[in-house]
Amino acid sequence: MNNTLKILSCYSADTAGVCSILYELGGMVVVHDASGCNSTYSTHDEPRWNKKPSNIFISALTERDAIMGNDAGFIENVSSAAKDLKPKFICICGSPMPALIGTDFTALAEEIEINTSIPCFSVATTGTYSYIQGAGEALLQYIKKFCIFKKKNHNTVNILGFTPLDFYINGQLERIVKLFADNGINVNFIGKYCEDILCASVNLVISQSGLKAAKYMWENYNIPYMCGIPIGEKLSELILKIQNIQSPTFIERNTEKSDLYIIGESIFSQSLSYAIELETGLKSGIIYPLENEGLKTAPADFTTESEEETENFLSLNAKKIIADPIYKNIAPKNAVFHDLPHFAFSGRCYEHIIPNLICNSNALKELIK
Amino acid sequence: MIKIAIYGKGGIGKSTVCSNISVALAKKGVKVMQIGCDPKADSTILLHKGEKLPSIMEEYTKKGTALSLDDIVFIGEEGVICCETGGPPPGTGCAGRGIINSLERLEKLSAYKIYKPDIVIFDVLGDVVCGGFSMPMRKGYAQKVYVVTSSEKMSRYACANISMALENFKGRGYAELGGYILNKSTSPSDRDSLNELCKDFNTQIIGEISYDPIIKSAEENDTTIIHSYPDTTVAEQFKNIAEKIYA
Repeated sequence: MNNTLKILSCYSADTAGVCSILYELGGMVVVHDASGCNSTYSTHDEPRWNKKPSNIFISALTERDAIMGNDAGFIENVSSAAKDLKPKFICICGSPMPALIGTDFTALAEEIEINTSIPCFSVATTGTYSYIQGAGEALLQYIKKFCIFKKKNHNTVNILGFTPLDFYINGQLERIVKLFADNGINVNFIGKYCEDILCASVNLVISQSGLKAAKYMWENYNIPYMCGIPIGEKLSELILKIQNIQSPTFIERNTEKSDLYIIGESIFSQSLSYAIELETGLKSGIIYPLENEGLKTAPADFTTESEEETENFLSLNAKKIIADPIYKNIAPKNAVFHDLPHFAFSGRCYEHIIPNLICNSNALKELIK
Repeated sequence: MIKIAIYGKGGIGKSTVCSNISVALAKKGVKVMQIGCDPKADSTILLHKGEKLPSIMEEYTKKGTALSLDDIVFIGEEGVICCETGGPPPGTGCAGRGIINSLERLEKLSAYKIYKPDIVIFDVLGDVVCGGFSMPMRKGYAQKVYVVTSSEKMSRYACANISMALENFKGRGYAELGGYILNKSTSPSDRDSLNELCKDFNTQIIGEISYDPIIKSAEENDTTIIHSYPDTTVAEQFKNIAEKIYA
């Protein structure tokens, strides 16, 4: 029962990741799931729902459809809606029920594409993994399906991995874009429909959700990538050197021991930890509750999905903690706790106090005051 | 790399056929990987002197994402690479999902890239009763499906069902029907009734296994015919089938 969450919330699911990362790309996303679940993906996990329209649907899968394997009904409904809405693309993905009955989404996507003549791809979500997996796979499939290499545009950067699940919608993305624009670097892709992703000279990966796509573009198109977020001013200056990188570049911290711990999304936490070190000299460790595959971790870091292990680790090691306020419930009573809400974890509960630390050293110092 | 799947009615001798084909090919220098797709996890038992291997689902339940290929892939008789998907205990859980999860896990762990088999043989439990059991015949998995059957009515019925599923999935780029393997060792069998089925599905009997007490004897001794009785007619029949499959 190590992975039972008794007190903590769980992170948004893979399906939410798919909907979120494709939200502004002009497509139509259909989650094969029971009716009623659409509010989770398209409103609870999506702060843009009342600001920008997006085509996100649920197939309203019934028990009878599941038992009888009614693929034909799903294909017909998706095709019919797509013919009316004429989206740029269709993405279909699954939930626990289709995962159990073994729905072949690759085959269904092919049939829908033939029916509608609209590009269709699938993401094999099950609803049981984190949003990182869904978002990461959806972005990769999108790039594979649509993006073509024409010619390399020097001095251009793609920003990979933006979703409000990690960055909310309080101007963080806009500040990253402005940082590059102010320094004469063109931003090519920020999560809006773009066929020229493969023409950028470098990729900035701002969350683990963008890493799969970055790796693919490095291995197949020789586009190097840097994992990091311009938190505070000093780290922003380092990130601006992105145009000089020739190969994958990661934040490298060497924290051996610390009583300050950060809990959160892996690339965000590494960037925050490094930014704090650059600005104040304070070293910190990280607890990774989500995927950190492919990143460079420090000796003081700890990876776990388990609430029990997190609680034990904090009680033995942490005197100061930076994390979503929900973690306060398992933090040692005498630890100093700095609130850093994470939308993918606590949703709208603390959205009004999510800080914008991008290029802002004062906000960073305020956070750890 | 060739990938094939062996289907057929429960108890018809799929695992015996698979294991003997695996050893016959391995003896000729072919690198074979046999993957049992059955919660009982006993497909490769004859390749391991009766010893049951830890299954993917069993190990995945214990180790989660820390699961490695060393936990689930084992080398059996004649160097055959063996693996069992396993699944839930009888009457619980979902065996079909167990197969899906296990085969996805093998892909994720790059099993085929690391072991580089010349042929992968999926030994699949029974009939195509749900989505999970169709997994080994999907695009990217087996290119051809062979059905083990006797001429007995229920066995032909299962054989027709499997053939029908392949026919229905033609448009999806699934596996093709490679042919039938007539197993005469379980019941007295004639070719005529099976020939009729061949006509219906435009396929052929690629080989047959005769009745011979040595089959039972080899099984009792937890070994293959190819190993224990290499110079017999039955061993020759297995070798012929193996050759046709790996032509």
